[in-house]
Amino acid sequence: MNVVVCVKRVPDTAESEVHIDASEKDIDKSRLSFGINECDNYAVEEAIQIKERLEGNVTIISLGGKDSDEVIRMALAKGGDEAMRLEDDAFVGGDALAVAKALAAAVKDLEYDIIFTGALTDDDGFAAAGVALAELIGVPHATYVKDVEILEDGKKAKVGRELEGGLMEYLEIDLPCMLGIQTGINEPRYASFKGIKQAAKKEIALKNASDLGLDASDVGEAGSWAVLEKFTPPVVGEMAEIFEGEPEETAAKLADVMKEKGLV
Amino acid sequence: MKDIFVLLEHRRGEMRDVSVEMLSGAAKLGGSVVAVLLGKDVDEFANKAAGYADKVLYVNDDMFENFNAEAYQKALSALIKEHDPGMILIPNSAQGVDIAPALAVELEAPLVTDITAIEMEGDKPKPTRQYYGGKLDAHMAMKDADVYILTVREATFPADEPSKSGEVVKVDNPVSEEIAYRKFLEYVEPEAGEVDITQSTLLIGVGRGIREDKNLPVAEELAEALGADLAASRAVVDAGWMPSDRQVGISGKTVKPKLYLAIGISGAFQHVTGMKSSEVIMAINKDPDAPIFGIADYGIVDDLFKVVPKLVEKIKELKGA
Amino acid sequence: MCAEEVGFVEKYDLLGCIQCGRCTGGCPVAMRTPLNVRCFMYNTQNEDRLEELSEQPEIWDCTTCFACAARCPKGLEPLEVLIGLRSLQIEEGRIQPTVRDALESIFKDGNPWSSPRAKRMDWAEELDVNILEPEAEETTDVLLFVCCTDAYDPRVMKVVQSLIKVLDAAGVDYGLIGDDESCCGSEVRRMGEEGLFEMCDEENVELFNSYNVNRIVTISPHCYNTFKKEYHGLNYPILHYTELVAELLEDGKLELDKELNNVVTYHDPCFLGKQNDIYDEPRYILTRIPGIEFREFDRCRERSLCCEGGGGKMWVETESTEERLAEKRVEDAKEIGAEIITVACPFCLLTLEDATKVKGIDEEMRVIDILELLAEAL
Repeated sequence: MNVVVCVKRVPDTAESEVHIDASEKDIDKSRLSFGINECDNYAVEEAIQIKERLEGNVTIISLGGKDSDEVIRMALAKGGDEAMRLEDDAFVGGDALAVAKALAAAVKDLEYDIIFTGALTDDDGFAAAGVALAELIGVPHATYVKDVEILEDGKKAKVGRELEGGLMEYLEIDLPCMLGIQTGINEPRYASFKGIKQAAKKEIALKNASDLGLDASDVGEAGSWAVLEKFTPPVVGEMAEIFEGEPEETAAKLADVMKEKGLV
Repeated sequence: MKDIFVLLEHRRGEMRDVSVEMLSGAAKLGGSVVAVLLGKDVDEFANKAAGYADKVLYVNDDMFENFNAEAYQKALSALIKEHDPGMILIPNSAQGVDIAPALAVELEAPLVTDITAIEMEGDKPKPTRQYYGGKLDAHMAMKDADVYILTVREATFPADEPSKSGEVVKVDNPVSEEIAYRKFLEYVEPEAGEVDITQSTLLIGVGRGIREDKNLPVAEELAEALGADLAASRAVVDAGWMPSDRQVGISGKTVKPKLYLAIGISGAFQHVTGMKSSEVIMAINKDPDAPIFGIADYGIVDDLFKVVPKLVEKIKELKGA
Repeated sequence: MCAEEVGFVEKYDLLGCIQCGRCTGGCPVAMRTPLNVRCFMYNTQNEDRLEELSEQPEIWDCTTCFACAARCPKGLEPLEVLIGLRSLQIEEGRIQPTVRDALESIFKDGNPWSSPRAKRMDWAEELDVNILEPEAEETTDVLLFVCCTDAYDPRVMKVVQSLIKVLDAAGVDYGLIGDDESCCGSEVRRMGEEGLFEMCDEENVELFNSYNVNRIVTISPHCYNTFKKEYHGLNYPILHYTELVAELLEDGKLELDKELNNVVTYHDPCFLGKQNDIYDEPRYILTRIPGIEFREFDRCRERSLCCEGGGGKMWVETESTEERLAEKRVEDAKEIGAEIITVACPFCLLTLEDATKVKGIDEEMRVIDILELLAEAL
């Protein structure tokens, strides 16, 4: 069972303030920590668990600059076999479609039974590259996947998709297929430093647009469905009444409101 | 202006709210609103949609008894080719995101997912969506095309009262071949836990800001002092710190307690959707720009580990008094 | 070197063990968990059992306090066997998510608290501090190494902020590394991540040696211990801040004007006391504060009870219904009538302060670092 996993390096903004930069099309990333996109981390783990159960190999693909080697190496250290990084100035500014086209070109000559992507990314959250990729290469797909079982003949998989309210929708899908992996499907393992060092010896094949047979009009902004015009701070409804002061005071004020509203 | 297609979403005998919301929103964009309903014996939904649409295209076929993205895609693509709408709105749901990107690729139609607002520039939509878990609004410019596809976030448009009486047109299933490569099997309900948070009157929502599971006692003490139950964000459940039946949000439970006190929750849309109808929302978060403050009634911008212990004291005092 | 390359028997001198049981007898966590370190000294002699032994959850109960090694009549270090077993788990990648996240964060951002490197100096936002330049011509007396916990934990930040006040008051010529500062790796090594520890060792030694200073002062005894005993090729002497502050007091450079009328005790951190014999400096500092009434714990100095904060325990919860050692400790402090427990370690600060909250005595008893008390007395 050969699995391809597409991963992305993203800034971790969950617990950090996000500031728009001067271009209005990007954010100030200088004070952010970066790492593998959360869903993708689960996708890597799922791929490696499949490999451990059924043998085969796992190929990691990432579109991004040199910095992305770190997340690729961590995935290799966990049990990935081969890796490919897609880098070209022409890729910059591409949306999910442009990324899907580059990925489609990258997997064209690979032998695979399953392609995993994360169901969505922590940065733009398009949740579209994987499904678009499936259509481009003509394989069936399912996304928001939180359970994967390869059926005995190795020609089909039983897949659980997580719907609203936590309801699971189970379906049977032919391989090869593309599955968009949701967080929580497994517990991602740790990549030891020794493993990462060893993985550093594995080659990461570098491909630019022309290596992939892509034209500049296929990728980047030109190859996208849409382009980002500008960021603005989100329009918030009526902002909360914010209590100011030392914890002692703010806590007292909040408790008073609870009392007023009859909640205490 | 060309017609606007709106794909209705239904599941297990219920039409989901987002369907009516999208119909209501589409009616304000100009152009005729055409509801597209794929299902099996769901005349009731067709009739309901007719109250909001200028026309309802209803495909009644066994193939659509349960959701299958591949069947939906084929049917939609055929209907779009036949009827030539200028735009199609699809819910940004687990169903919608399983269809829209593939449909967009097939039709070579530009797609923007998870939109939270639309403006029109002539026939062309200019959608707004969010990046970085709701921390920024992104204004998107779509490529010129004959048809545009948008997946619409829940609650983007308010649901109106029915004011139209569109014609329900039953159309033959345009998909002739069976979809053998993807088959629906069954739905499985999430496991029920010991506490049903949808029934709780007071809830403490715990987010990633709690940092580690061993810090949970901080929240537990607060819950105990207040007589509240604990709920959790997706991140906390994924980390295995709390059971999944405590998860609030799109993929978890929808709760409407008298008080929802969010601690260390930034307020990503996926969470907020599940708790925004709470009567009173309070939030403690150290990031002043956290979206949670946009929906909260009261907030404290500070480290939860400093504030919560004080809050426990104050509540104990009040209860003692 | 990794556990697989050299066998456990050889690496830990297991055949030297006489199974006397003094290790387990002195093990503080044995009071509340199934951990029996003597058994591990015996069972790990069988290399075929290593995998199975490494999967036993109690190997993560060890706080690496060093009591077992200190008591071993044969000079063995039983705790190292447990660390060796942890290494096997690390290599498999099958570790608790909290440990995984802490280690990944050290690899990526140089700290175990999943915080960006760029926020490392946030604690000094309102302070005027000197950031050292590498290869500077002029020598700075002290390179102050700020522990990750002091840099990022909002509670512990107050400790390093107090130290800055003290250094400024004493006119010490010191400098900081700034955002380039990275984790010392002490906990990394103790969680069994040998490779990552080697990286910490190599990178920090290179960084430290690039500065022109007389000595390096640490705030955490964990950093202190690892720099002093486990790093390779460091050019400068390492001091714990208690040594520096004692020196400042002795030389009359630090004046303590304010009288503090409190009953104070001192909790010896394992990594400062048991492991490095620094017992007198903290007591000297405390007794120099005007008005302080100093009382010893019954279990003090080499007999001090571990707070369970070290050995990676900040990221691993022990499954036990027995009272935490930190809770025992604050009860003991209450018994001797202490109003303030002073510590000299960020982990002790966090575990003991938590324990006062659990015991509901946080109103009557404060847990603070010696430095915070000193800053109050300035």
